[in-house]
Amino acid sequence: MNVERQERVRKSAVKGLAMESMEALVQIRESFDENPKAMDYFYDLYHRTYCLGEWGNGKRPEVGTLCVQVPEELILAAGAFPRRLCSGSHAFDQVGSEFMPAKGCPVVKATVGLLQSRALPPLEEMRLVVNPTSCDQKKKAGEMIAEMGYPVYSLEIPPSRDTEEARAYWHRSVKRLSVALEKTTGQRITRKRLHEAIRTTNTARQEYRRFSKLRKAQPSPLLGKDALLVTNAYFFDDIESWTEALARLNLELERRVENKLTPAQKRAPRFLLTGTPPVFPNLKVPLLIEQLGAVIVADEVCSSNRLLYDAVTMDTPFLYDMIPAVADRYLKPCTCPIFDRNEDRKRKLLDMASDYQVDGVIYQAYAGCHLYEMEQQSMGRALTEAGVPMLYLETDYSPDDAGQLSTRVEAFVESIRNRQRKLEGGRS
Amino acid sequence: MSTVKKRSINHGDVNRFRFWFQIGAFVILVYGGYWALDISTSLPTFSCVFPSSRGGTCYLYPLQHQVNMTWKQFASPRVIGVLTAFGTFVFLFLLFNKAWCGFACPIGTVQDWITRLRLRMGIRPGVYTEATFNRLKVLKYVLLVLLILLPLGISNSLLGLPKFSHDVATSFCMLCPGRTILPIFTGDFSQLTIDFSSKTMTVLTGLGMAVLGTTLVGAFYKKRFFCLFCPMSALHYVFSKGALLGLKKDGAKCTRCGNCYRVCDMGIREIADDLERRNIVQDDCMMCFKCVAACPEEGCLKVTVPGLTVYQSTEEGFFARSASRLNHER
Repeated sequence: MNVERQERVRKSAVKGLAMESMEALVQIRESFDENPKAMDYFYDLYHRTYCLGEWGNGKRPEVGTLCVQVPEELILAAGAFPRRLCSGSHAFDQVGSEFMPAKGCPVVKATVGLLQSRALPPLEEMRLVVNPTSCDQKKKAGEMIAEMGYPVYSLEIPPSRDTEEARAYWHRSVKRLSVALEKTTGQRITRKRLHEAIRTTNTARQEYRRFSKLRKAQPSPLLGKDALLVTNAYFFDDIESWTEALARLNLELERRVENKLTPAQKRAPRFLLTGTPPVFPNLKVPLLIEQLGAVIVADEVCSSNRLLYDAVTMDTPFLYDMIPAVADRYLKPCTCPIFDRNEDRKRKLLDMASDYQVDGVIYQAYAGCHLYEMEQQSMGRALTEAGVPMLYLETDYSPDDAGQLSTRVEAFVESIRNRQRKLEGGRS
Repeated sequence: MSTVKKRSINHGDVNRFRFWFQIGAFVILVYGGYWALDISTSLPTFSCVFPSSRGGTCYLYPLQHQVNMTWKQFASPRVIGVLTAFGTFVFLFLLFNKAWCGFACPIGTVQDWITRLRLRMGIRPGVYTEATFNRLKVLKYVLLVLLILLPLGISNSLLGLPKFSHDVATSFCMLCPGRTILPIFTGDFSQLTIDFSSKTMTVLTGLGMAVLGTTLVGAFYKKRFFCLFCPMSALHYVFSKGALLGLKKDGAKCTRCGNCYRVCDMGIREIADDLERRNIVQDDCMMCFKCVAACPEEGCLKVTVPGLTVYQSTEEGFFARSASRLNHER
């Protein structure tokens, strides 16, 4: 690609991103009532970054990550700023589509498109892009990204997480990453620094768990579109500022729970969202669900719950034990469908469905994401057997299918409402 | 129990509690005799018979003596003594289950101290594969069978073999690191020798010295190394199901995050991966309850006595412990 064309692509992608982000933000803020005051931090954050292009992290060197399995504690301990690059932008999806397979996954296409366009300022300063060998498309994308001139580090993930062999392999892999990170930033990962990093992330996760618990309340004090915005901000925000902002939001939500305040209708059907990750600005499905009067009270996606739920536990305060401890956090509880067996995801969905008292599950899969498309069958069966209805939606980043999705979600919401009525009728 | 009390317990650091409890138990079991203490001669823990100041006696010692009788004698009133001792052992064991290992056993405590020393020195532990240990673990059952068969073979001819020498009467004690290590704490170094009085004794005490060395070095690199081979632990496990103190797991609440397995000194993988069994005590478990403290899921792991939960995993407790730990290291 010549320089001129590259520049043209970049400019149009930046413009496209700003436009779709603005549109999403307007929808998120203005098509709903009673947004929590503490959400302003996040609305402003997205506005500044996605719409005005003010990305920045202070002075730390940038390390990009391409999946949920990259141990961010190590990046922090090496003195760098972890930035998750997985993109939800239709504009970048289109850039990627020019050279990626037509039937590929939009998350991968948009992410590769983002890197190709070099549209965001931090991309110019990427010291390392850590690409876990998660699914085949991501794995292979690493090679393409390297060809674009980025320093790519391929983080090997075992295909299973049930055996000790897989665990040992992963421990070695993470150990190698820590050495690579030290080389990249020139800062050694010391006991003390790793401690600080674990403390930072554990505090964030504790706050996230508090947040999730508040969403269990009946009626729900928060809409899912805001919740997803919060968790998505973890991709690019400073972790400590993020945690503080979330703590403020939690305080406000606590008051709402006490007073039984809800931004949704009082009897809104409660949904659990799972499947391929919704990443800003593509909050198409969640927005649609909530515009139709339902509320997302929980999610099981790698841009939110899977990213933030688990905390690191250490046995002894030494690097030889702490690095494997950090590694375990990213392998053992991970319910990503890349692993050969994923009973745990099924169990998690069932557990969350009853824990959050949901009326139904919405399973979104982007066309081209074969793993989530394949897993929907067994997940759907297990949920249905447990009496939890599931709606499977196949979608992508383009706005074209909004009408068709809307019809299907509306019918699903209606069927849940009918069910509720019948149950209540039976009771009275 | 009031909620406040319950919360403060669930927030507690079981490791620190155990550390001090072990010291107390060690003093009682090794020095209790100085205060004329004699808890029982059927203790389900390695309260070794060799330190004269002991506050109670390990059941394996009387067990080896008592089974040393002829088949005929087994039908005589002499068997009442055997059964009484056995009954006492089972009773005491059932009260505290394998917490005898984690909280009371002096040899376990000494090994934990060795681990602390290693940590203090900043030396890393050895890394072994799970498969190796699964193979070695069978040894404790072999030792248990031998420690009963050998004394039996003194009074009786087993399978037509000639009767064994009296020197194997307490053969396990000769091998046990309790005999060599614990008297040292009372200033008695006399067990640190090889007894050349007979061939059998030479072999047994020689092996005993070898076991001593292996235990000390082993425990330095692998937490609770000796416990993997402990026949007392094997004997415990036979009765563990009926014990009052329990360690219960609610598989439905488990996310298999592996935190419990990661902190387990005995490397018990079932604690994380077994989702079916409610009673999760395994034969190597010493009921130290580190797993409960490391579990972030509300009520997934519980320490129970019938009708009551004594200590359980909570999200709040997990983060409180983690924060205090990280603050401490700062």
